[in-house]
Amino acid sequence: MKFDLTLALADKPGQLLRALEPIAKSGGNIISIIHERDKPAEGYVPVSLVVDFPSRQNFRDAINSLKNLGVAIIRSEEVVEKVRLTFILIGGVDLRKIIESRVEGMRVIGFEASTPKLNEVSVRMDIEVQADMVGEVVEELRKISKEQNAILISPI
Amino acid sequence: MRLLIIGFGFIGKELVKALRGKIRLLREIDRDFMVVGAADSKGYIFDAGGLDVDGLSAINRLSEHQGYRAGGSASELINEDLCNVIVEATPTNIKDGEPGLTHIRLALSRGIHVVTPNKGPLVLAFRELTSIAERNSCDLLYEGTVAGAIPIFSLARECLRGDKIIRLSGILNGTTNYILSRMFFEETSFDIALKEAQEKGIAERDPSYDVDGVDAACKVVILANALMKRNAKIGDVERVGIRGVTQEAISLAKKANYAIKLIGTIDRRLEVAPKLVPINHPLCVHGTLNAIHIEMDLAGEITLVGYGAGKETVSAVLNDLITVLKRRSKQKH
Repeated sequence: MKFDLTLALADKPGQLLRALEPIAKSGGNIISIIHERDKPAEGYVPVSLVVDFPSRQNFRDAINSLKNLGVAIIRSEEVVEKVRLTFILIGGVDLRKIIESRVEGMRVIGFEASTPKLNEVSVRMDIEVQADMVGEVVEELRKISKEQNAILISPI
Repeated sequence: MRLLIIGFGFIGKELVKALRGKIRLLREIDRDFMVVGAADSKGYIFDAGGLDVDGLSAINRLSEHQGYRAGGSASELINEDLCNVIVEATPTNIKDGEPGLTHIRLALSRGIHVVTPNKGPLVLAFRELTSIAERNSCDLLYEGTVAGAIPIFSLARECLRGDKIIRLSGILNGTTNYILSRMFFEETSFDIALKEAQEKGIAERDPSYDVDGVDAACKVVILANALMKRNAKIGDVERVGIRGVTQEAISLAKKANYAIKLIGTIDRRLEVAPKLVPINHPLCVHGTLNAIHIEMDLAGEITLVGYGAGKETVSAVLNDLITVLKRRSKQKH
């Protein structure tokens, strides 16, 4: 799992190497590193890293080691991959049910409804969701559309 | 090899026409290849010395042929071991699979190879038929049952033996693809597109078999059983057809760069339902085309596109027949 990590390193030789060592020792694989030498502030240089750790425990170990070394950690958080999904619903659907549904991290980011002449209302929804929650979202929408007798058209 | 053709409808007749031009090719593989008989629902013609394929291709009904035995049945010819390969091309019946199921069962149990584009028997009795074939060391080939000319089973059997198919999805019905394509491009309603398809002979007068997804569900069952070792029945397929798909829904999809297609899917579940297909996805083919997208552990993704019905299906039947001839000629040498 990937983590975003921003450290503040003293603007002195050898500091970057010193900070990377505990990360490597905790099993972290550095994916990218941006050493912003042109932005020193009060003698410190921000370094932004994306690190892949085998588990959250490895990540916590790295953080503790960095703290023990006295490295200032400006930001540390897991990188959550998000995907956008488009759905179409045909038929009377109570959209509150979808917006209020309890799928973690699901957000409706776009919405368009047709102006039907004869047919049922058709609605297109763009949803942003954590990559590992796609299955749950599709299941939830299936359930809601079934309950409301609507046709759900999901992406392939 | 002595071939008996059962069913003299569209496919039977088109096969005979194709055989005219391919007889030399077939005899290069098997010197003794000949068509010894052809049967329809009311009788048959038979000649142990081989029928003249040119003459056979000129007739519209078998009863017009000299020596037609009215009242005779294909089962008699199979029972007397007068052939060693059959092409079973009677109409599809997914209620009880008949008469195809009886013909195929009988032939396989007597060690006669079977080539068929008839879905019914395979949807209803896939495991039973494949195990009879195995027990009697004979071939049961059914390339024409799914997506007509697209050689999906041959490809998996010959070229992807080392791969595991993880997921399969596809446009498995040309009629619904035609209707949805008209709605997409011409912005017509479902009813008008359906009517147009019926006028062109693409849809039946009773279109429910196609538009309610039954035909596509049959193909999902055969694909799941043949390629993914399932033991699926038609009732296992969750099915939504395209009757409820509105013009407005298609326009909304189009604005977001999607087309709506009736997609058969095999993964954790078996499903036939209208789905959003990105317009730049290889599955997004239009008109009466079919397409199959397979996802494998080694090869990744492969998409096949082609015609799923009509005379193109004869290609599948003929190539299955060639496979049977090749395998037997190998055994001889």
